[in-house]
Amino acid sequence: MSKGTLELLFDSKARVKMLKFLFRNIGAVFSVEDISRRIQERPPVVRREIRRLLEVGLLKQKAK
Amino acid sequence: MKMKKRRKKKIARVRRSAREKGAAGRKKRRGIARKRKTKKAGIKNKTGKRRKTKTLRRKRKAAGKRKSPKRSPSKKGIVRRRRVVKRIHTRKLARRRKEHKRVSVPRRPAVRSVGGSIHKPTYALDTDFEFFYELKDLISKSSPAEKGQMVDKLNRVGRIKLAIASGVFINKENLDPLITDLLIVGDDIDRRKLRTFLRSAEAEVGKEIRFTVMDKDEFQYRLAMFDRFVRVLLEGPHEKLINRLGI
Repeated sequence: MSKGTLELLFDSKARVKMLKFLFRNIGAVFSVEDISRRIQERPPVVRREIRRLLEVGLLKQKAK
Repeated sequence: MKMKKRRKKKIARVRRSAREKGAAGRKKRRGIARKRKTKKAGIKNKTGKRRKTKTLRRKRKAAGKRKSPKRSPSKKGIVRRRRVVKRIHTRKLARRRKEHKRVSVPRRPAVRSVGGSIHKPTYALDTDFEFFYELKDLISKSSPAEKGQMVDKLNRVGRIKLAIASGVFINKENLDPLITDLLIVGDDIDRRKLRTFLRSAEAEVGKEIRFTVMDKDEFQYRLAMFDRFVRVLLEGPHEKLINRLGI
Protein backbone atom coordinates (compact mmCIF):
# COMPACT_ATOMS: atom_id res chain seq x y z
CA MET A 1 0.00 0.00 0.00
CA SER A 2 1.30 3.40 -0.85
CA LYS A 3 2.46 5.62 1.88
CA GLY A 4 0.13 7.42 4.20
CA THR A 5 -3.08 6.15 2.61
CA LEU A 6 -4.78 5.47 5.89
CA GLU A 7 -3.50 8.70 7.36
CA LEU A 8 -4.99 10.65 4.49
CA LEU A 9 -8.17 8.65 4.58
CA PHE A 10 -8.69 9.01 8.28
CA ASP A 11 -7.47 12.54 8.48
CA SER A 12 -5.44 12.00 11.60
CA LYS A 13 -2.17 10.32 12.23
CA ALA A 14 -2.96 9.73 15.86
CA ARG A 15 -6.21 8.01 14.98
CA VAL A 16 -4.52 5.70 12.52
CA LYS A 17 -1.84 4.88 15.02
CA MET A 18 -4.43 4.18 17.63
CA LEU A 19 -6.49 1.97 15.35
CA LYS A 20 -3.41 0.06 14.31
CA PHE A 21 -2.40 -0.35 17.90
CA LEU A 22 -5.83 -1.52 18.97
CA PHE A 23 -6.35 -3.90 16.09
CA ARG A 24 -2.97 -5.45 16.53
CA ASN A 25 -3.75 -6.02 20.19
CA ILE A 26 -7.28 -7.28 19.98
CA GLY A 27 -8.73 -8.52 23.22
CA ALA A 28 -6.48 -6.43 25.39
CA VAL A 29 -7.69 -3.64 27.61
CA PHE A 30 -5.92 -0.32 27.85
CA SER A 31 -6.12 2.88 29.79
CA VAL A 32 -5.52 6.26 28.25
CA GLU A 33 -2.01 6.30 29.67
CA ASP A 34 -1.19 2.92 28.22
CA ILE A 35 -2.28 3.92 24.77
CA SER A 36 -0.57 7.25 25.04
CA ARG A 37 2.71 5.63 25.95
CA ARG A 38 2.53 2.98 23.32
CA ILE A 39 1.57 5.11 20.35
CA GLN A 40 3.67 8.09 21.42
CA GLU A 41 0.88 10.59 21.40
CA ARG A 42 -0.11 12.98 24.12
CA PRO A 43 -2.93 11.91 26.46
CA PRO A 44 -5.33 14.70 25.46
CA VAL A 45 -5.06 13.62 21.83
CA VAL A 46 -5.64 10.02 22.80
CA ARG A 47 -8.57 11.00 24.96
CA ARG A 48 -10.16 12.89 22.11
CA GLU A 49 -9.81 9.95 19.78
CA ILE A 50 -11.17 7.61 22.39
CA ARG A 51 -14.19 9.81 22.82
CA ARG A 52 -14.82 9.64 19.09
CA LEU A 53 -14.41 5.91 18.89
CA LEU A 54 -16.70 5.46 21.87
CA GLU A 55 -19.30 7.59 20.16
CA VAL A 56 -19.10 5.51 17.04
CA GLY A 57 -19.26 2.31 19.04
CA LEU A 58 -15.95 0.81 18.04
CA LEU A 59 -14.65 1.10 21.55
CA LYS A 60 -16.28 0.17 24.77
CA GLN A 61 -15.43 1.23 28.23
CA LYS A 62 -14.49 -1.60 30.51
CA ALA A 63 -14.03 -0.38 34.05
CA LYS A 64 -14.38 2.81 35.95
CA MET B 1 -24.56 19.38 53.12
CA LYS B 2 -21.33 19.21 55.00
CA MET B 3 -20.18 22.49 53.57
CA LYS B 4 -23.36 24.17 54.61
CA LYS B 5 -23.04 22.95 58.13
CA ARG B 6 -19.46 24.01 58.35
CA ARG B 7 -20.33 27.41 57.01
CA LYS B 8 -23.11 27.84 59.52
CA LYS B 9 -20.78 26.92 62.31
CA LYS B 10 -18.23 29.39 61.11
CA ILE B 11 -20.76 32.18 60.93
CA ALA B 12 -21.89 31.41 64.46
CA ARG B 13 -18.32 31.48 65.65
CA VAL B 14 -17.61 34.83 64.04
CA ARG B 15 -20.75 36.33 65.51
CA ARG B 16 -19.84 35.08 68.93
CA SER B 17 -16.39 36.56 68.77
CA ALA B 18 -17.78 39.79 67.39
CA ARG B 19 -19.89 40.05 70.49
CA GLU B 20 -16.72 39.81 72.50
CA LYS B 21 -15.70 43.32 71.56
CA GLY B 22 -13.19 44.46 69.03
CA ALA B 23 -9.60 43.51 69.47
CA ALA B 24 -10.16 40.72 71.96
CA GLY B 25 -12.65 39.09 69.69
CA ARG B 26 -10.36 39.42 66.74
CA LYS B 27 -7.49 37.94 68.69
CA LYS B 28 -9.61 35.11 69.80
CA ARG B 29 -10.50 34.39 66.25
CA ARG B 30 -6.85 34.05 65.61
CA GLY B 31 -6.67 31.74 68.58
CA ILE B 32 -4.07 33.72 70.51
CA ALA B 33 -5.88 35.27 73.42
CA ARG B 34 -6.50 32.11 75.32
CA LYS B 35 -5.93 33.68 78.68
CA ARG B 36 -8.14 36.65 78.17
CA LYS B 37 -10.88 34.41 77.00
CA THR B 38 -11.12 32.81 80.39
CA LYS B 39 -10.89 36.14 82.11
CA LYS B 40 -13.82 37.49 80.24
CA ALA B 41 -15.78 34.42 80.97
CA GLY B 42 -18.75 36.34 82.17
CA ILE B 43 -19.94 37.18 78.74
CA LYS B 44 -23.16 35.50 77.88
CA ASN B 45 -23.11 32.64 75.55
CA LYS B 46 -25.75 30.47 74.06
CA THR B 47 -23.76 27.32 74.37
CA GLY B 48 -23.43 27.72 78.11
CA LYS B 49 -19.82 26.74 77.92
CA ARG B 50 -18.60 30.08 79.06
CA ARG B 51 -20.95 30.11 82.03
CA LYS B 52 -19.53 26.87 83.19
CA THR B 53 -16.07 28.34 83.32
CA LYS B 54 -17.45 31.28 85.16
CA THR B 55 -18.84 29.14 87.91
CA LEU B 56 -15.67 27.19 87.93
CA ARG B 57 -13.72 30.37 88.42
CA ARG B 58 -15.96 31.44 91.27
CA LYS B 59 -15.49 28.13 92.95
CA ARG B 60 -11.77 28.38 92.61
CA LYS B 61 -11.78 31.89 93.98
CA ALA B 62 -13.64 30.63 96.96
CA ALA B 63 -11.06 27.92 97.39
CA GLY B 64 -8.32 30.51 97.51
CA LYS B 65 -7.06 30.13 94.01
CA ARG B 66 -6.90 33.35 92.09
CA LYS B 67 -7.54 33.93 88.49
CA SER B 68 -8.67 31.56 85.88
CA PRO B 69 -7.61 27.96 85.78
CA LYS B 70 -4.08 27.83 84.54
CA ARG B 71 -2.42 25.03 82.84
CA SER B 72 0.23 23.32 84.82
CA PRO B 73 3.57 25.01 84.10
CA SER B 74 5.20 21.98 82.66
CA LYS B 75 2.47 21.45 80.16
CA LYS B 76 2.53 25.09 79.22
CA GLY B 77 6.22 24.93 78.56
CA ILE B 78 5.83 22.00 76.33
CA VAL B 79 3.14 23.66 74.39
CA ARG B 80 5.13 26.81 73.96
CA ARG B 81 8.24 24.96 73.03
CA ARG B 82 6.42 22.99 70.46
CA ARG B 83 4.97 26.10 68.96
CA VAL B 84 8.29 27.88 68.75
CA VAL B 85 10.06 24.93 67.34
CA LYS B 86 7.44 24.61 64.73
CA ARG B 87 7.72 28.23 63.78
CA ILE B 88 11.48 28.06 63.41
CA HIS B 89 11.15 24.96 61.43
CA THR B 90 8.79 26.46 58.91
CA ARG B 91 10.86 29.58 58.66
CA LYS B 92 13.95 27.57 58.07
CA LEU B 93 12.16 25.67 55.44
CA ALA B 94 11.05 28.85 53.78
CA ARG B 95 14.53 30.27 53.85
CA ARG B 96 16.01 27.12 52.48
CA ARG B 97 13.43 27.01 49.81
CA LYS B 98 14.52 30.41 48.59
CA GLU B 99 18.13 29.38 48.47
CA HIS B 100 18.00 25.98 46.96
CA LYS B 101 14.63 25.00 45.85
CA ARG B 102 15.73 21.53 44.99
CA VAL B 103 16.90 20.63 48.46
CA SER B 104 14.03 21.16 50.75
CA VAL B 105 10.84 21.58 48.86
CA PRO B 106 9.00 18.47 49.82
CA ARG B 107 7.72 17.18 46.57
CA ARG B 108 4.75 15.03 46.52
CA PRO B 109 5.76 11.77 44.94
CA ALA B 110 4.49 11.50 41.43
CA VAL B 111 1.31 9.55 41.48
CA ARG B 112 2.18 6.34 39.79
CA SER B 113 -0.69 4.18 38.86
CA VAL B 114 0.30 0.99 40.52
CA GLY B 115 -2.78 0.18 42.49
CA GLY B 116 -4.64 3.19 41.21
CA SER B 117 -5.02 1.90 37.72
CA ILE B 118 -8.01 -0.12 38.84
CA HIS B 119 -10.02 3.02 39.17
CA LYS B 120 -9.10 4.39 35.80
CA PRO B 121 -11.41 3.69 32.95
CA THR B 122 -10.03 1.27 30.46
CA TYR B 123 -11.08 0.66 26.94
CA ALA B 124 -11.24 -2.24 24.58
CA LEU B 125 -12.45 -2.79 21.05
CA ASP B 126 -16.07 -3.71 20.74
CA THR B 127 -16.39 -6.62 18.37
CA ASP B 128 -20.07 -5.83 17.93
CA PHE B 129 -19.18 -2.76 15.95
CA GLU B 130 -20.82 -3.08 12.56
CA PHE B 131 -17.65 -2.59 10.49
CA PHE B 132 -15.37 -4.27 12.95
CA TYR B 133 -14.02 -6.99 10.67
CA GLU B 134 -13.87 -4.72 7.66
CA LEU B 135 -11.79 -2.27 9.62
CA LYS B 136 -9.65 -5.03 10.94
CA ASP B 137 -8.94 -6.26 7.42
CA LEU B 138 -8.20 -2.77 6.26
CA ILE B 139 -5.72 -2.18 8.99
CA SER B 140 -4.05 -5.53 8.79
CA LYS B 141 -3.63 -5.07 5.04
CA SER B 142 -2.11 -1.66 5.42
CA SER B 143 1.62 -1.50 5.76
CA PRO B 144 2.60 -1.34 9.38
CA ALA B 145 5.32 1.14 8.74
CA GLU B 146 6.41 3.20 5.84
CA LYS B 147 9.53 1.81 4.28
CA GLY B 148 11.17 5.01 3.10
CA GLN B 149 10.69 6.68 6.41
CA MET B 150 12.07 3.69 8.26
CA VAL B 151 15.18 3.68 6.11
CA ASP B 152 15.75 7.37 6.71
CA LYS B 153 15.40 6.97 10.43
CA LEU B 154 17.57 3.89 10.52
CA ASN B 155 20.37 5.62 8.66
CA ARG B 156 20.44 8.23 11.34
CA VAL B 157 21.00 5.64 14.05
CA GLY B 158 24.47 4.66 12.88
CA ARG B 159 26.38 3.18 9.99
CA ILE B 160 23.87 0.55 9.10
CA LYS B 161 25.07 -2.10 6.69
CA LEU B 162 22.01 -4.24 6.61
CA ALA B 163 18.50 -3.95 7.92
CA ILE B 164 16.02 -6.71 7.44
CA ALA B 165 12.41 -6.39 8.36
CA SER B 166 10.37 -9.45 9.02
CA GLY B 167 7.56 -10.60 11.22
CA VAL B 168 5.28 -7.76 12.17
CA PHE B 169 6.57 -5.53 9.44
CA ILE B 170 5.37 -7.75 6.65
CA ASN B 171 2.15 -8.76 8.32
CA LYS B 172 3.32 -12.20 9.20
CA GLU B 173 2.70 -13.27 12.68
CA ASN B 174 5.64 -15.47 13.29
CA LEU B 175 5.01 -18.24 15.68
CA ASP B 176 8.67 -19.03 15.70
CA PRO B 177 10.07 -17.11 18.62
CA LEU B 178 13.48 -17.28 17.09
CA ILE B 179 12.63 -14.85 14.36
CA THR B 180 13.09 -11.20 15.05
CA ASP B 181 11.02 -8.51 13.50
CA LEU B 182 14.02 -6.38 12.79
CA LEU B 183 17.61 -7.32 12.24
CA ILE B 184 20.05 -4.48 12.26
CA VAL B 185 23.62 -4.99 11.22
CA GLY B 186 25.92 -2.04 11.52
CA ASP B 187 28.71 -0.30 13.30
CA ASP B 188 28.78 2.73 15.59
CA ILE B 189 25.18 2.36 16.52
CA ASP B 190 23.97 4.99 18.92
CA ARG B 191 22.03 3.15 21.57
CA ARG B 192 19.88 6.10 22.50
CA LYS B 193 18.99 6.91 18.94
CA LEU B 194 18.23 3.28 18.36
CA ARG B 195 15.92 3.28 21.31
CA THR B 196 14.01 6.32 20.18
CA PHE B 197 13.80 4.85 16.71
CA LEU B 198 12.38 1.64 18.09
CA ARG B 199 9.92 3.49 20.24
CA SER B 200 8.57 5.45 17.32
CA ALA B 201 8.53 2.32 15.18
CA GLU B 202 6.59 0.50 17.87
CA ALA B 203 4.17 3.39 18.01
CA GLU B 204 3.68 3.17 14.29
CA VAL B 205 3.34 -0.58 14.17
CA GLY B 206 1.25 -0.82 17.28
CA LYS B 207 3.09 -3.83 18.60
CA GLU B 208 6.27 -4.61 20.35
CA ILE B 209 9.16 -5.14 18.04
CA ARG B 210 11.59 -7.94 18.60
CA PHE B 211 14.87 -6.76 17.28
CA THR B 212 18.41 -7.91 16.98
CA VAL B 213 21.49 -5.79 16.65
CA MET B 214 24.85 -7.10 15.67
CA ASP B 215 27.96 -5.71 14.10
CA LYS B 216 29.14 -6.54 10.63
CA ASP B 217 31.79 -9.04 11.65
CA GLU B 218 29.43 -11.06 13.73
CA PHE B 219 26.83 -11.13 11.00
CA GLN B 220 29.32 -12.26 8.39
CA TYR B 221 30.63 -14.92 10.71
CA ARG B 222 27.12 -16.18 11.32
CA LEU B 223 26.34 -16.07 7.63
CA ALA B 224 29.46 -18.03 6.79
CA MET B 225 28.73 -20.78 9.24
CA PHE B 226 25.08 -21.03 8.21
CA ASP B 227 23.85 -19.93 11.55
CA ARG B 228 20.32 -21.07 12.09
CA PHE B 229 19.12 -17.70 13.24
CA VAL B 230 20.30 -15.86 10.17
CA ARG B 231 19.31 -18.60 7.77
CA VAL B 232 15.75 -18.83 9.04
CA LEU B 233 15.41 -15.12 8.70
CA LEU B 234 16.81 -14.99 5.18
CA GLU B 235 14.87 -17.98 3.98
CA GLY B 236 11.60 -16.83 5.44
CA PRO B 237 9.54 -13.89 4.29
CA HIS B 238 11.49 -10.73 4.81
CA GLU B 239 12.23 -7.40 3.32
CA LYS B 240 15.61 -5.79 3.08
CA LEU B 241 15.34 -2.19 4.06
CA ILE B 242 19.02 -1.43 3.75
CA ASN B 243 21.45 -3.71 1.99
CA ARG B 244 25.02 -2.59 1.66
CA LEU B 245 26.50 -6.04 2.00
CA GLY B 246 25.21 -7.41 -1.27
CA ILE B 247 23.22 -10.28 0.14
